[in-house]
Amino acid sequence: MKKIIRSLVSLIEGHLTVFKHLFMKSVTVQYPEKRRELNDAFRGKPQVAGCIGCGICKSVCPSGAINYIKDENGNVRSYTFDLNKCIFCGNCKYYCPQQAISMTKEYELATDRKSDLILEYRGGKE
Amino acid sequence: MNYLYFLYMDFLAKYNVPKILGNITFYIIPFCIIAAVLLVVVLILVLAERKLLGYFTQRKGPNRVGYWGVLQTLADAFKLLIKENITPGKADRFLYNLAPILVFVPVVTVLGIIPYSGEFTFVNTSTNIILYVVLAAFPVLSIFLAGWSSNNKYSLLGAARSISQVLSYELPITFVVLSIVVLASSMNLSGITLAQYSSKGLAGWFIFPCIAGFCIMFISILAELNRCPFDLPEAESELICGYNTEYSGMRFALFYLSEYSMLFANSLFLSIIFLGGYLSPFGGYLSHIIFGDSQLASFLVYFEQTFWLFLKSGIIIFVIIWIRATLPRLASYDLIKFSWVVLLPASIINLLWVIVYKYLTGGAA
Amino acid sequence: MTAVKTFKLNLGPQHPSTHGVLRLILELDGEKILSCEPDVGYLHRGMEKMAEQMKYVQYLPTVDRIDYLAGCFYSELFCRTIEKAMGVEIPDKVKYIRVLLLELNRIASHLLWIGAFLMDLGATSPFFYAFREREMILRYFEKLTGQRMMYNYFVFGGVRTDINYLEDIENIIDILPQKIKDYEKIITDNPIFLTRTEGKGIIEQTLAKNYSITGVNLRASGVSYDQRLYDRLYNNIEFVPIVLDGKDSWSRYKARILEINESIKIIQQALEKVKQLGDLRQVLINPIRLKLPEGEYYSEIEAPRGLASCYILSDGSDKPYRLKWRTPSYYSVNLLREILRGAYLNDAIAIAGSLDIILPEVDK
Repeated sequence: MKKIIRSLVSLIEGHLTVFKHLFMKSVTVQYPEKRRELNDAFRGKPQVAGCIGCGICKSVCPSGAINYIKDENGNVRSYTFDLNKCIFCGNCKYYCPQQAISMTKEYELATDRKSDLILEYRGGKE
Repeated sequence: MNYLYFLYMDFLAKYNVPKILGNITFYIIPFCIIAAVLLVVVLILVLAERKLLGYFTQRKGPNRVGYWGVLQTLADAFKLLIKENITPGKADRFLYNLAPILVFVPVVTVLGIIPYSGEFTFVNTSTNIILYVVLAAFPVLSIFLAGWSSNNKYSLLGAARSISQVLSYELPITFVVLSIVVLASSMNLSGITLAQYSSKGLAGWFIFPCIAGFCIMFISILAELNRCPFDLPEAESELICGYNTEYSGMRFALFYLSEYSMLFANSLFLSIIFLGGYLSPFGGYLSHIIFGDSQLASFLVYFEQTFWLFLKSGIIIFVIIWIRATLPRLASYDLIKFSWVVLLPASIINLLWVIVYKYLTGGAA
Repeated sequence: MTAVKTFKLNLGPQHPSTHGVLRLILELDGEKILSCEPDVGYLHRGMEKMAEQMKYVQYLPTVDRIDYLAGCFYSELFCRTIEKAMGVEIPDKVKYIRVLLLELNRIASHLLWIGAFLMDLGATSPFFYAFREREMILRYFEKLTGQRMMYNYFVFGGVRTDINYLEDIENIIDILPQKIKDYEKIITDNPIFLTRTEGKGIIEQTLAKNYSITGVNLRASGVSYDQRLYDRLYNNIEFVPIVLDGKDSWSRYKARILEINESIKIIQQALEKVKQLGDLRQVLINPIRLKLPEGEYYSEIEAPRGLASCYILSDGSDKPYRLKWRTPSYYSVNLLREILRGAYLNDAIAIAGSLDIILPEVDK
């Protein structure tokens, strides 16, 4: 008998708890119009500026997404991120001795052409 | 309805249309009306359910297609219409195609029995409560056909669950309906509605002498409708989609449609036999109070009666959705045990109580 | 008369409630399960083999992906093994930062489990409520580490950046207990939930030990084994391992709820210690030229799903010769073949759900 009363009470309690939520503000974000605020630490599309070509980023990248070409003077001629491979781990940014790599807040990178995902920065700059 | 019938016949006689044609069309037209209204009601119900489930969980529900998402279900229906109808390779083609059509027939018929207002019942037979109870259990047949013919183990299990579920919940329903028949001394839904009339409004409703019966009926109807917490035949987490796993496109839409129309019909039925149907909860009708005894008031009263009926069934549907938002699903064996061990004895006791009550209040004559 | 015919049902790999791609080959008599054969490997990514071709520092970001709901734990486990191999003792502040994040992550993982488990049972609302709370934690992680699930925050000998936004954590541990009371109101005493979970999926202690089940599943069977008690990270932190002796799905549910509360207590303690300690000083191991000395290294951690451990066999080069993960869900999946026997199909889902199986962790 006690058990029946307990379960009935909990049934009613449960229903009231759910009912309470009917009057609460919705917690969802209406995505394309509104977006979440992103912090500076966010790891989005990577960018490079001022690369000296030391090669550390290339050696710490887990997926081999980074590649660069040096010219005869030892300056970086072109620097590419292959976003097809990139897993946005941020290793390159963290280990770069020059703080040349930064990760932007851009995360909507979907595209229908694979070549769009290969980011090329000329001479360490875009 | 007789009043409408004569009006209609008079109207046809003016244009020299043969009487037999009138007799036939008089019963076809209502069904067209029902079918049309049904579509609109189901669209509203689906939207309401999704919206409410959204609000219960602090989401917004569909809000993209049309203002406030009103066109969302329409868009979904349209999508289903243009989708391909896939038939599984080893399915029993005839039964597979028949099932979604069959599921819809009892639904439309059932809605014709409901007295929407004092003068508005399409099919008013003297024992239509029995007709209702029988027809309301019919969709399970096509569910079984669907599950059997799709040649899918999940569908088969869903169909088997559905059959056992309806078999065990049909008896409590019958006993509760019997107790209502005893209370009202009538087997006609209009008669039952009128038997609940009292000048004090809701004091006459059958829910008060028969509160246990209401609870039993409510639970059984949840089970018959395959609604949560009794949604075993289509338990998503176990049987993927149950009996309609293999259905796609329009055929799936028919199952979906019939499910929600059955929800609507059963909520109407519940409000008729327990909550006074189209009667106003205040005793007098608002249109009489506002417009006095004018011609307008006697015309408006029919609409008001329909409004009350729909309001009551709306509340019932809200509670059903609320329950869906809260409760987990029962296990299949517990479900059947619950019916035979708890509901059936309770409904028999309820029937006995109602007979005693009726005797004591002097209605035995 | 013909004999009773049984039939085989392939539950999964694509099924709404297998939490990924688990395939259960069930032999059914009606709805009764005669035998169950779990078939894993649909999500195999070769995490162990992959390690043999990568430097340690390259491998570090990928270990978060072993268990996407509790990435911190595997990250920490890998860092810990490397630190052990290099003979490095991490400073106190780093320890407490790690404890803080690990416990937050544990709460997030348990919250998701509560939601998913109730979804399996057919209750929809708690799923969204649990996700709402989990979202707070994930947002905090995103603020601090840059991503919601693949944190890559721990590095060998320390953490990437100093901890920040502590008021967010305070906010989370303020709100959570009330919300958990809400869940308990909806779920814990609910008669339908009780019929679905009480006395279902019983794991006897011997069975659990034979199948080397760890974590909450073991503790809900009445065995008091929590690796955190022996963990140096949790040295100065007081907590009680949650041990229930119901052995059934319900105690596993209750144990997780209680464990969330326990985690909140740990977070409070760690938070205070983090505040007391000053600036972050780290023992940095140069990760780029990192070469482990020859030998075998092993360490373990109490992940949300049980005991996880990492074994590295090094030949002195900058890549492991062999790396092995012990992932707790793998053992839980094996247990299914024992505890599903004789159950009904709808209990099967509830029982499998109660074990908190995460498929990427099973298949590695």
